[in-house]
Amino acid sequence: MNSSKKSWLAFAVILVIAFLLNLPLIGALFNALRTDNAIASGALVWEFDSGFSHFQNAMGAAGYDFPSFFVNSVLISLGTVSLVTLVSLPAAYAVVRLGFGGPWILRLAVGLRVIPAIFFLVPFYIMFSFAGLIDTVWVLILVNGFTNTTLALLIFSNALAELPIDMEEAASVDGASVFQRLRLIVIPLLGPAMVAVGVLTFLFTWSDYLFAVILTSSEATPVTVGAANFVTSYGVRWGDISAAVVLSVLPPLLFAVFAQRFLVKGLAAGAVKG
Amino acid sequence: MSRDLLSDPVVELAGLDNYVALVSDPDFWESIGFTLKFAIIATSIQLVLGFALALVFDRNVPGKKYLFSAVLIPIMIAPSLMAVMYRLLLNESIGVVPAFFGLFGLQVSLFSPDAIFSLLIVLDCIQFVPFTFLLFYSSLQNVPDELYEAASIDGSSYFETIRRIVIPILKPAIVVVVLLRFLEGIRNFDVIYILTGGGPGTSTQTVGIFIYKTAFAQGNFGMAAAASVVLVLLLAPFTPWVIKRLSTSEQQ
Repeated sequence: MNSSKKSWLAFAVILVIAFLLNLPLIGALFNALRTDNAIASGALVWEFDSGFSHFQNAMGAAGYDFPSFFVNSVLISLGTVSLVTLVSLPAAYAVVRLGFGGPWILRLAVGLRVIPAIFFLVPFYIMFSFAGLIDTVWVLILVNGFTNTTLALLIFSNALAELPIDMEEAASVDGASVFQRLRLIVIPLLGPAMVAVGVLTFLFTWSDYLFAVILTSSEATPVTVGAANFVTSYGVRWGDISAAVVLSVLPPLLFAVFAQRFLVKGLAAGAVKG
Repeated sequence: MSRDLLSDPVVELAGLDNYVALVSDPDFWESIGFTLKFAIIATSIQLVLGFALALVFDRNVPGKKYLFSAVLIPIMIAPSLMAVMYRLLLNESIGVVPAFFGLFGLQVSLFSPDAIFSLLIVLDCIQFVPFTFLLFYSSLQNVPDELYEAASIDGSSYFETIRRIVIPILKPAIVVVVLLRFLEGIRNFDVIYILTGGGPGTSTQTVGIFIYKTAFAQGNFGMAAAASVVLVLLLAPFTPWVIKRLSTSEQQ
Protein backbone atom coordinates (compact mmCIF):
# COMPACT_ATOMS: atom_id res chain seq x y z
CA MET A 1 0.00 0.00 0.00
CA ASN A 2 1.73 3.17 -1.16
CA SER A 3 -0.32 6.27 -0.50
CA SER A 4 1.46 9.34 -1.82
CA LYS A 5 1.64 11.05 1.60
CA LYS A 6 4.91 10.38 3.42
CA SER A 7 4.30 8.63 6.71
CA TRP A 8 6.66 10.11 9.29
CA LEU A 9 4.93 8.17 12.05
CA ALA A 10 5.83 4.89 10.35
CA PHE A 11 9.36 6.27 9.90
CA ALA A 12 9.69 6.95 13.64
CA VAL A 13 8.27 3.54 14.63
CA ILE A 14 10.61 1.69 12.25
CA LEU A 15 13.60 3.75 13.35
CA VAL A 16 13.02 2.73 16.98
CA ILE A 17 12.53 -0.93 15.99
CA ALA A 18 15.66 -0.90 13.82
CA PHE A 19 17.60 0.55 16.78
CA LEU A 20 16.34 -2.15 19.15
CA LEU A 21 17.02 -4.96 16.66
CA ASN A 22 20.57 -3.72 16.19
CA LEU A 23 21.19 -2.97 19.87
CA PRO A 24 23.53 -5.99 20.29
CA LEU A 25 25.71 -4.80 17.41
CA ILE A 26 25.54 -1.16 18.52
CA GLY A 27 26.50 -2.23 22.06
CA ALA A 28 29.48 -4.20 20.76
CA LEU A 29 30.61 -1.25 18.60
CA PHE A 30 30.17 1.10 21.57
CA ASN A 31 32.47 -1.04 23.75
CA ALA A 32 34.97 -1.61 20.96
CA LEU A 33 35.34 2.12 20.35
CA ARG A 34 35.64 3.41 23.93
CA THR A 35 38.68 3.36 26.18
CA ASP A 36 39.33 0.77 28.87
CA ASN A 37 38.96 3.59 31.39
CA ALA A 38 35.46 4.30 30.21
CA ILE A 39 34.58 0.60 30.22
CA ALA A 40 35.85 0.28 33.79
CA SER A 41 33.91 3.38 34.91
CA GLY A 42 30.47 2.24 33.85
CA ALA A 43 28.33 0.68 31.17
CA LEU A 44 27.17 3.99 29.75
CA VAL A 45 30.37 6.07 30.08
CA TRP A 46 31.71 7.29 26.73
CA GLU A 47 35.32 8.20 26.01
CA PHE A 48 36.47 7.73 22.42
CA ASP A 49 39.50 5.48 21.98
CA SER A 50 41.25 7.42 19.22
CA GLY A 51 44.02 4.80 18.95
CA PHE A 52 41.47 2.03 18.15
CA SER A 53 43.50 -0.11 20.58
CA HIS A 54 40.79 -2.77 20.93
CA PHE A 55 40.74 -3.34 17.19
CA GLN A 56 44.53 -3.45 17.09
CA ASN A 57 44.57 -5.95 19.96
CA ALA A 58 41.96 -8.11 18.26
CA MET A 59 43.94 -8.04 15.02
CA GLY A 60 47.05 -9.43 16.68
CA ALA A 61 48.70 -6.75 18.81
CA ALA A 62 47.73 -8.53 22.07
CA GLY A 63 48.75 -11.98 20.90
CA TYR A 64 45.26 -13.53 20.71
CA ASP A 65 44.65 -16.29 18.16
CA PHE A 66 41.84 -14.26 16.67
CA PRO A 67 43.60 -13.41 13.35
CA SER A 68 44.10 -17.12 12.61
CA PHE A 69 40.42 -17.82 13.48
CA PHE A 70 39.47 -15.14 10.99
CA VAL A 71 41.67 -16.63 8.27
CA ASN A 72 40.16 -20.07 9.00
CA SER A 73 36.63 -18.68 8.62
CA VAL A 74 37.55 -17.08 5.30
CA LEU A 75 39.17 -20.30 4.00
CA ILE A 76 36.28 -22.49 5.18
CA SER A 77 33.62 -20.19 3.73
CA LEU A 78 35.29 -19.64 0.36
CA GLY A 79 36.22 -23.34 0.13
CA THR A 80 32.62 -24.32 0.83
CA VAL A 81 31.28 -21.89 -1.77
CA SER A 82 33.65 -23.41 -4.38
CA LEU A 83 32.81 -27.00 -3.43
CA VAL A 84 29.05 -26.39 -3.37
CA THR A 85 29.13 -24.65 -6.77
CA LEU A 86 31.33 -27.34 -8.34
CA VAL A 87 29.01 -30.12 -7.14
CA SER A 88 25.56 -28.62 -7.45
CA LEU A 89 25.81 -26.73 -10.75
CA PRO A 90 26.62 -29.83 -12.86
CA ALA A 91 24.16 -31.81 -10.73
CA ALA A 92 21.38 -29.34 -11.45
CA TYR A 93 22.27 -29.46 -15.14
CA ALA A 94 22.04 -33.24 -15.10
CA VAL A 95 18.66 -33.14 -13.37
CA VAL A 96 17.04 -30.37 -15.42
CA ARG A 97 18.58 -30.87 -18.88
CA LEU A 98 19.87 -34.43 -19.08
CA GLY A 99 16.86 -36.05 -17.46
CA PHE A 100 18.74 -37.48 -14.50
CA GLY A 101 16.30 -38.42 -11.75
CA GLY A 102 13.62 -35.87 -12.55
CA PRO A 103 11.53 -33.72 -10.23
CA TRP A 104 11.45 -36.30 -7.43
CA ILE A 105 15.15 -35.83 -6.83
CA LEU A 106 14.54 -32.11 -6.22
CA ARG A 107 11.65 -32.90 -3.88
CA LEU A 108 13.99 -35.27 -2.06
CA ALA A 109 16.50 -32.44 -1.74
CA VAL A 110 13.85 -30.15 -0.20
CA GLY A 111 12.76 -32.97 2.10
CA LEU A 112 16.32 -33.55 3.29
CA ARG A 113 16.43 -29.98 4.49
CA VAL A 114 14.01 -30.92 7.29
CA ILE A 115 16.80 -32.93 8.94
CA PRO A 116 18.54 -30.69 11.47
CA ALA A 117 22.33 -30.37 11.39
CA ILE A 118 22.51 -31.82 14.90
CA PHE A 119 21.41 -35.19 13.48
CA PHE A 120 24.78 -35.49 11.75
CA LEU A 121 26.81 -34.56 14.83
CA VAL A 122 27.62 -38.05 16.11
CA PRO A 123 28.15 -39.80 12.75
CA PHE A 124 30.32 -36.95 11.43
CA TYR A 125 32.45 -36.91 14.56
CA ILE A 126 33.05 -40.65 14.38
CA MET A 127 33.57 -40.70 10.60
CA PHE A 128 36.04 -37.85 10.53
CA SER A 129 37.90 -39.07 13.61
CA PHE A 130 38.60 -42.32 11.77
CA ALA A 131 39.53 -40.38 8.63
CA GLY A 132 42.01 -38.32 10.67
CA LEU A 133 40.50 -35.07 9.42
CA ILE A 134 39.49 -33.59 12.78
CA ASP A 135 40.69 -30.02 13.32
CA THR A 136 41.40 -29.29 9.67
CA VAL A 137 39.86 -26.65 7.43
CA TRP A 138 39.02 -29.48 4.99
CA VAL A 139 36.60 -31.21 7.32
CA LEU A 140 34.56 -28.03 7.80
CA ILE A 141 34.51 -27.43 4.03
CA LEU A 142 33.21 -30.99 3.57
CA VAL A 143 30.45 -30.84 6.21
CA ASN A 144 29.30 -27.35 5.30
CA GLY A 145 29.38 -28.36 1.65
CA PHE A 146 27.21 -31.33 2.59
CA THR A 147 24.55 -29.24 4.36
CA ASN A 148 24.47 -26.45 1.75
CA THR A 149 24.42 -28.52 -1.45
CA THR A 150 20.68 -29.24 -1.36
CA LEU A 151 19.80 -25.55 -1.28
CA ALA A 152 22.27 -24.76 -4.09
CA LEU A 153 20.85 -27.62 -6.17
CA LEU A 154 17.37 -26.12 -5.83
CA ILE A 155 18.48 -22.59 -6.72
CA PHE A 156 20.46 -23.78 -9.78
CA SER A 157 17.65 -26.08 -10.93
CA ASN A 158 15.07 -23.29 -10.75
CA ALA A 159 17.39 -20.93 -12.63
CA LEU A 160 18.17 -23.55 -15.28
CA ALA A 161 14.51 -24.39 -15.79
CA GLU A 162 13.90 -20.73 -16.63
CA LEU A 163 16.65 -20.57 -19.29
CA PRO A 164 15.44 -21.10 -22.87
CA ILE A 165 16.81 -24.35 -24.22
CA ASP A 166 17.16 -23.14 -27.86
CA MET A 167 20.75 -21.97 -27.66
CA GLU A 168 21.92 -25.22 -26.13
CA GLU A 169 20.08 -27.18 -28.83
CA ALA A 170 21.71 -25.06 -31.54
CA ALA A 171 25.14 -25.61 -29.97
CA SER A 172 24.42 -29.32 -29.72
CA VAL A 173 23.55 -29.45 -33.42
CA ASP A 174 26.87 -27.71 -34.12
CA GLY A 175 28.62 -30.51 -32.26
CA ALA A 176 29.25 -28.98 -28.82
CA SER A 177 29.66 -31.57 -26.07
CA VAL A 178 27.71 -31.47 -22.80
CA PHE A 179 30.64 -29.85 -21.00
CA GLN A 180 31.16 -27.27 -23.75
CA ARG A 181 27.46 -26.33 -23.58
CA LEU A 182 27.68 -26.07 -19.82
CA ARG A 183 30.85 -23.99 -19.88
CA LEU A 184 30.19 -21.71 -22.86
CA ILE A 185 26.43 -21.21 -22.77
CA VAL A 186 24.87 -22.14 -19.46
CA ILE A 187 27.38 -20.85 -16.90
CA PRO A 188 27.59 -17.31 -18.37
CA LEU A 189 23.78 -17.09 -18.18
CA LEU A 190 23.60 -18.37 -14.60
CA GLY A 191 25.41 -15.34 -13.11
CA PRO A 192 22.59 -14.24 -10.79
CA ALA A 193 22.00 -17.79 -9.54
CA MET A 194 25.72 -18.22 -8.89
CA VAL A 195 25.79 -15.00 -6.88
CA ALA A 196 22.73 -16.14 -4.89
CA VAL A 197 24.29 -19.54 -4.15
CA GLY A 198 27.63 -17.94 -3.32
CA VAL A 199 26.21 -15.35 -0.95
CA LEU A 200 23.84 -17.72 0.87
CA THR A 201 26.45 -20.49 1.17
CA PHE A 202 29.01 -17.99 2.43
CA LEU A 203 26.55 -16.63 5.00
CA PHE A 204 25.46 -20.06 6.28
CA THR A 205 29.02 -21.42 6.39
CA TRP A 206 30.38 -18.34 8.13
CA SER A 207 27.57 -18.77 10.69
CA ASP A 208 28.30 -22.43 11.43
CA TYR A 209 28.99 -23.04 15.10
CA LEU A 210 27.71 -26.56 15.75
CA PHE A 211 30.04 -28.46 13.40
CA ALA A 212 33.00 -26.24 14.22
CA VAL A 213 32.62 -26.77 17.95
CA ILE A 214 32.90 -30.57 17.66
CA LEU A 215 35.20 -30.91 14.64
CA THR A 216 37.88 -28.36 15.55
CA SER A 217 40.04 -27.89 18.64
CA SER A 218 42.68 -25.27 17.81
CA GLU A 219 44.18 -25.36 14.31
CA ALA A 220 41.00 -24.92 12.27
CA THR A 221 38.84 -22.97 14.74
CA PRO A 222 36.65 -20.37 12.97
CA VAL A 223 35.54 -17.01 14.43
CA THR A 224 32.19 -18.30 15.71
CA VAL A 225 33.78 -20.80 18.09
CA GLY A 226 36.76 -18.52 18.71
CA ALA A 227 34.56 -15.61 19.81
CA ALA A 228 32.42 -17.81 22.06
CA ASN A 229 35.55 -19.23 23.72
CA PHE A 230 37.05 -15.74 23.92
CA VAL A 231 34.15 -14.45 25.99
CA THR A 232 34.63 -17.24 28.55
CA SER A 233 38.45 -17.33 28.70
CA TYR A 234 39.29 -13.60 28.57
CA GLY A 235 36.23 -12.61 30.58
CA VAL A 236 37.28 -9.09 31.48
CA ARG A 237 38.87 -7.93 28.22
CA TRP A 238 35.49 -6.52 27.18
CA GLY A 239 36.83 -3.99 24.69
CA ASP A 240 38.97 -6.55 22.88
CA ILE A 241 36.15 -9.12 22.80
CA SER A 242 33.77 -6.50 21.40
CA ALA A 243 36.24 -5.49 18.69
CA ALA A 244 36.80 -9.17 17.75
CA VAL A 245 33.05 -9.76 17.48
CA VAL A 246 32.51 -6.62 15.40
CA LEU A 247 35.28 -7.75 13.01
CA SER A 248 33.73 -11.24 12.89
CA VAL A 249 30.31 -10.04 11.77
CA LEU A 250 31.73 -7.71 9.11
CA PRO A 251 32.34 -10.07 6.13
CA PRO A 252 28.73 -11.34 5.87
CA LEU A 253 27.47 -7.79 6.42
CA LEU A 254 29.65 -6.49 3.57
CA PHE A 255 28.26 -9.23 1.36
CA ALA A 256 24.80 -8.19 2.41
CA VAL A 257 25.49 -4.61 1.36
CA PHE A 258 26.86 -5.54 -2.08
CA ALA A 259 24.49 -8.39 -2.83
CA GLN A 260 21.40 -7.48 -0.84
CA ARG A 261 19.14 -8.07 -3.84
CA PHE A 262 20.29 -11.69 -4.17
CA LEU A 263 20.31 -12.35 -0.45
CA VAL A 264 16.85 -10.92 0.03
CA LYS A 265 15.47 -12.88 -2.90
CA GLY A 266 17.00 -16.11 -1.67
CA LEU A 267 15.96 -15.64 1.95
CA ALA A 268 12.48 -14.55 0.95
CA ALA A 269 12.16 -17.74 -1.09
CA GLY A 270 12.62 -19.67 2.12
CA ALA A 271 16.33 -20.38 2.15
CA VAL A 272 17.31 -21.40 5.66
CA LYS A 273 20.33 -22.99 7.23
CA GLY A 274 20.22 -26.75 7.45
CA MET B 1 29.06 -47.18 22.87
CA SER B 2 31.46 -44.80 24.46
CA ARG B 3 34.27 -42.58 23.28
CA ASP B 4 36.58 -45.63 23.46
CA LEU B 5 35.08 -46.85 20.24
CA LEU B 6 37.43 -44.47 18.46
CA SER B 7 40.50 -46.39 19.61
CA ASP B 8 38.85 -49.79 19.76
CA PRO B 9 36.28 -50.04 17.00
CA VAL B 10 34.52 -53.31 17.72
CA VAL B 11 31.05 -53.53 16.26
CA GLU B 12 28.69 -54.97 18.81
CA LEU B 13 24.98 -54.68 18.16
CA ALA B 14 23.11 -53.02 20.98
CA GLY B 15 19.60 -53.77 19.72
CA LEU B 16 17.23 -51.21 21.19
CA ASP B 17 19.25 -50.70 24.38
CA ASN B 18 20.11 -47.10 23.53
CA TYR B 19 16.48 -46.28 22.78
CA VAL B 20 15.34 -47.91 26.02
CA ALA B 21 17.92 -45.90 27.97
CA LEU B 22 16.82 -42.76 26.13
CA VAL B 23 13.07 -43.01 26.76
CA SER B 24 13.65 -43.76 30.43
CA ASP B 25 15.83 -40.65 30.81
CA PRO B 26 13.66 -37.83 32.24
CA ASP B 27 16.18 -35.23 30.98
CA PHE B 28 15.38 -36.25 27.42
CA TRP B 29 11.63 -35.72 27.86
CA GLU B 30 12.27 -32.44 29.66
CA SER B 31 14.40 -31.29 26.69
CA ILE B 32 11.66 -32.29 24.23
CA GLY B 33 9.11 -30.35 26.28
CA PHE B 34 11.32 -27.28 26.53
CA THR B 35 12.16 -27.37 22.82
CA LEU B 36 8.50 -27.60 21.76
CA LYS B 37 7.41 -24.87 24.17
CA PHE B 38 10.24 -22.60 23.00
CA ALA B 39 9.58 -23.24 19.30
CA ILE B 40 5.80 -22.72 19.57
CA ILE B 41 5.97 -19.51 21.64
CA ALA B 42 8.86 -18.00 19.63
CA THR B 43 7.12 -18.83 16.33
CA SER B 44 3.81 -17.28 17.42
CA ILE B 45 5.40 -14.04 18.61
CA GLN B 46 7.65 -13.73 15.55
CA LEU B 47 4.67 -14.38 13.28
CA VAL B 48 2.68 -11.50 14.77
CA LEU B 49 5.59 -9.03 15.12
CA GLY B 50 7.01 -9.75 11.65
CA PHE B 51 3.56 -9.27 10.10
CA ALA B 52 2.95 -6.03 12.01
CA LEU B 53 6.36 -4.66 11.00
CA ALA B 54 5.71 -5.57 7.36
CA LEU B 55 2.41 -3.64 7.47
CA VAL B 56 4.14 -0.57 8.96
CA PHE B 57 6.80 -0.81 6.24
CA ASP B 58 4.24 -1.14 3.47
CA ARG B 59 3.56 2.61 3.41
CA ASN B 60 5.27 5.58 1.92
CA VAL B 61 8.06 5.63 4.52
CA PRO B 62 10.83 8.21 4.03
CA GLY B 63 14.28 6.61 3.73
CA LYS B 64 12.68 3.19 3.26
CA LYS B 65 15.68 1.70 1.46
CA TYR B 66 18.05 2.39 4.35
CA LEU B 67 15.60 1.37 7.06
CA PHE B 68 14.96 -1.88 5.18
CA SER B 69 18.70 -2.68 5.12
CA ALA B 70 19.05 -1.75 8.80
CA VAL B 71 16.19 -4.03 9.86
CA LEU B 72 17.69 -6.97 7.93
CA ILE B 73 21.15 -6.73 9.57
CA PRO B 74 20.44 -9.24 12.38
CA ILE B 75 19.70 -11.96 9.77
CA MET B 76 23.26 -11.67 8.45
CA ILE B 77 24.87 -12.16 11.87
CA ALA B 78 25.88 -15.66 12.94
CA PRO B 79 23.65 -16.75 15.87
CA SER B 80 26.73 -17.70 17.91
CA LEU B 81 28.26 -14.23 17.40
CA MET B 82 24.88 -12.73 18.27
CA ALA B 83 25.00 -14.79 21.49
CA VAL B 84 28.42 -13.34 22.36
CA MET B 85 27.03 -9.84 21.78
CA TYR B 86 24.02 -10.65 23.98
CA ARG B 87 26.41 -11.66 26.73
CA LEU B 88 28.19 -8.31 26.44
CA LEU B 89 24.88 -6.45 26.29
CA LEU B 90 23.43 -8.20 29.35
CA ASN B 91 26.61 -8.39 31.41
CA GLU B 92 26.10 -7.00 34.90
CA SER B 93 29.27 -4.88 34.94
CA ILE B 94 29.47 -3.55 31.37
CA GLY B 95 26.10 -4.37 29.80
CA VAL B 96 23.99 -1.53 28.46
CA VAL B 97 20.71 -3.25 29.34
CA PRO B 98 21.29 -3.74 33.11
CA ALA B 99 22.75 -0.20 33.20
CA PHE B 100 19.61 1.14 31.51
CA PHE B 101 17.37 -0.56 34.07
CA GLY B 102 19.76 0.72 36.75
CA LEU B 103 18.99 4.31 35.71
CA PHE B 104 15.47 3.75 37.01
CA GLY B 105 16.78 2.07 40.16
CA LEU B 106 15.70 -1.36 38.93
CA GLN B 107 17.80 -4.37 39.80
CA VAL B 108 17.02 -7.09 37.29
CA SER B 109 18.64 -10.48 37.17
CA LEU B 110 17.90 -11.52 33.60
CA PHE B 111 19.46 -14.96 33.94
CA SER B 112 17.43 -15.97 37.00
CA PRO B 113 15.28 -19.11 36.62
CA ASP B 114 12.11 -16.96 36.50
CA ALA B 115 13.30 -14.62 33.77
CA ILE B 116 15.47 -16.86 31.60
CA PHE B 117 12.70 -18.24 29.38
CA SER B 118 11.31 -14.80 28.51
CA LEU B 119 14.83 -13.52 27.96
CA LEU B 120 15.63 -16.30 25.49
CA ILE B 121 12.36 -15.63 23.63
CA VAL B 122 13.12 -11.90 23.37
CA LEU B 123 16.64 -12.60 22.11
CA ASP B 124 15.32 -15.10 19.55
CA CYS B 125 12.90 -12.41 18.34
CA ILE B 126 15.73 -9.89 17.87
CA GLN B 127 17.33 -12.20 15.36
CA PHE B 128 14.28 -13.72 13.66
CA VAL B 129 11.57 -11.04 13.56
CA PRO B 130 13.65 -9.51 10.71
CA PHE B 131 13.34 -12.85 8.91
CA THR B 132 9.57 -13.22 9.33
CA PHE B 133 9.25 -9.53 8.42
CA LEU B 134 11.20 -10.14 5.20
CA LEU B 135 8.98 -13.04 4.13
CA PHE B 136 5.78 -11.09 4.84
CA TYR B 137 7.04 -7.90 3.25
CA SER B 138 8.01 -9.71 0.02
CA SER B 139 4.54 -11.25 -0.16
CA LEU B 140 2.82 -7.93 0.56
CA GLN B 141 4.39 -6.57 -2.62
CA ASN B 142 2.14 -9.00 -4.51
CA VAL B 143 -1.04 -7.40 -3.13
CA PRO B 144 -2.18 -4.95 -5.84
CA ASP B 145 -2.82 -1.35 -4.71
CA GLU B 146 -6.22 -1.45 -6.43
CA LEU B 147 -7.46 -3.90 -3.81
CA TYR B 148 -6.79 -1.42 -1.02
CA GLU B 149 -8.35 1.40 -3.03
CA ALA B 150 -11.45 -0.64 -3.84
CA ALA B 151 -11.80 -1.67 -0.21
CA SER B 152 -11.47 1.89 1.06
CA ILE B 153 -14.00 3.18 -1.48
CA ASP B 154 -16.41 0.53 -0.24
CA GLY B 155 -15.97 1.99 3.25
CA SER B 156 -13.79 -0.74 4.70
CA SER B 157 -11.66 0.39 7.64
CA TYR B 158 -7.92 -0.27 7.69
CA PHE B 159 -8.16 -3.19 10.08
CA GLU B 160 -11.10 -4.68 8.21
CA THR B 161 -9.07 -4.52 5.00
CA ILE B 162 -6.17 -6.26 6.70
CA ARG B 163 -8.39 -8.95 8.17
CA ARG B 164 -10.61 -9.63 5.19
CA ILE B 165 -8.28 -9.00 2.25
CA VAL B 166 -4.60 -8.95 3.18
CA ILE B 167 -4.47 -11.93 5.56
CA PRO B 168 -6.33 -14.29 3.18
CA ILE B 169 -3.98 -13.29 0.35
CA LEU B 170 -0.93 -13.81 2.57
CA LYS B 171 -2.07 -17.22 3.79
CA PRO B 172 0.64 -19.12 1.87
CA ALA B 173 3.31 -16.81 3.33
CA ILE B 174 1.90 -17.35 6.82
CA VAL B 175 2.14 -21.12 6.39
CA VAL B 176 5.76 -20.85 5.18
CA VAL B 177 6.71 -18.56 8.09
CA VAL B 178 5.15 -20.88 10.67
CA LEU B 179 6.76 -23.93 9.12
CA LEU B 180 10.26 -22.45 8.78
CA ARG B 181 10.34 -20.75 12.15
CA PHE B 182 8.93 -23.78 13.95
CA LEU B 183 11.45 -26.15 12.37
CA GLU B 184 14.28 -23.68 13.06
CA GLY B 185 13.06 -23.17 16.61
CA ILE B 186 13.28 -26.92 17.20
CA ARG B 187 16.89 -26.87 15.99
CA ASN B 188 17.92 -24.02 18.25
CA PHE B 189 21.35 -24.71 19.69
CA ASP B 190 23.96 -21.95 19.31
CA VAL B 191 22.42 -19.05 21.21
CA ILE B 192 20.97 -21.00 24.12
CA TYR B 193 24.10 -23.14 24.47
CA ILE B 194 26.42 -20.12 24.57
CA LEU B 195 24.17 -18.11 26.90
CA THR B 196 23.03 -20.72 29.41
CA GLY B 197 24.66 -24.05 28.47
CA GLY B 198 21.17 -25.50 29.04
CA GLY B 199 20.94 -24.17 32.58
CA PRO B 200 20.10 -23.19 35.24
CA GLY B 201 20.10 -26.95 35.89
CA THR B 202 18.62 -28.46 32.77
CA SER B 203 15.77 -25.95 32.53
CA THR B 204 16.75 -24.48 29.14
CA GLN B 205 18.15 -27.65 27.60
CA THR B 206 17.01 -27.99 23.99
CA VAL B 207 17.07 -31.40 22.31
CA GLY B 208 20.16 -30.18 20.45
CA ILE B 209 21.97 -29.37 23.70
CA PHE B 210 20.84 -32.72 25.15
CA ILE B 211 22.31 -34.57 22.15
CA TYR B 212 25.53 -32.56 22.26
CA LYS B 213 26.05 -33.07 25.99
CA THR B 214 25.14 -36.75 25.90
CA ALA B 215 27.71 -37.35 23.16
CA PHE B 216 30.52 -34.99 24.05
CA ALA B 217 30.24 -34.41 27.81
CA GLN B 218 29.11 -37.90 28.85
CA GLY B 219 30.72 -39.78 25.95
CA ASN B 220 27.49 -41.70 25.38
CA PHE B 221 27.46 -41.68 21.57
CA GLY B 222 24.89 -44.46 21.35
CA MET B 223 22.24 -42.62 23.30
CA ALA B 224 23.03 -39.34 21.52
CA ALA B 225 22.56 -41.06 18.15
CA ALA B 226 19.28 -42.56 19.38
CA ALA B 227 18.10 -39.09 20.45
CA SER B 228 19.07 -37.72 17.00
CA VAL B 229 16.95 -40.39 15.33
CA VAL B 230 13.98 -39.64 17.60
CA LEU B 231 14.35 -35.92 16.78
CA VAL B 232 14.26 -36.62 13.05
CA LEU B 233 11.24 -38.92 13.50
CA LEU B 234 9.47 -36.08 15.32
CA LEU B 235 10.21 -33.72 12.43
CA ALA B 236 9.46 -36.29 9.70
CA PRO B 237 5.67 -35.65 9.60
CA PHE B 238 6.40 -32.08 8.46
CA THR B 239 8.40 -33.24 5.43
CA PRO B 240 5.59 -33.53 2.82
CA TRP B 241 4.31 -30.14 3.93
CA VAL B 242 7.75 -28.58 3.57
CA ILE B 243 8.22 -30.16 0.14
CA LYS B 244 4.86 -28.86 -1.05
CA ARG B 245 5.26 -25.33 0.28
CA LEU B 246 8.93 -24.79 -0.37
CA SER B 247 9.31 -26.30 -3.79
CA THR B 248 6.54 -24.01 -5.02
CA SER B 249 7.71 -20.86 -3.24
CA GLU B 250 11.32 -21.32 -4.34
CA GLN B 251 10.15 -21.49 -7.93
CA GLN B 252 8.53 -18.06 -7.81
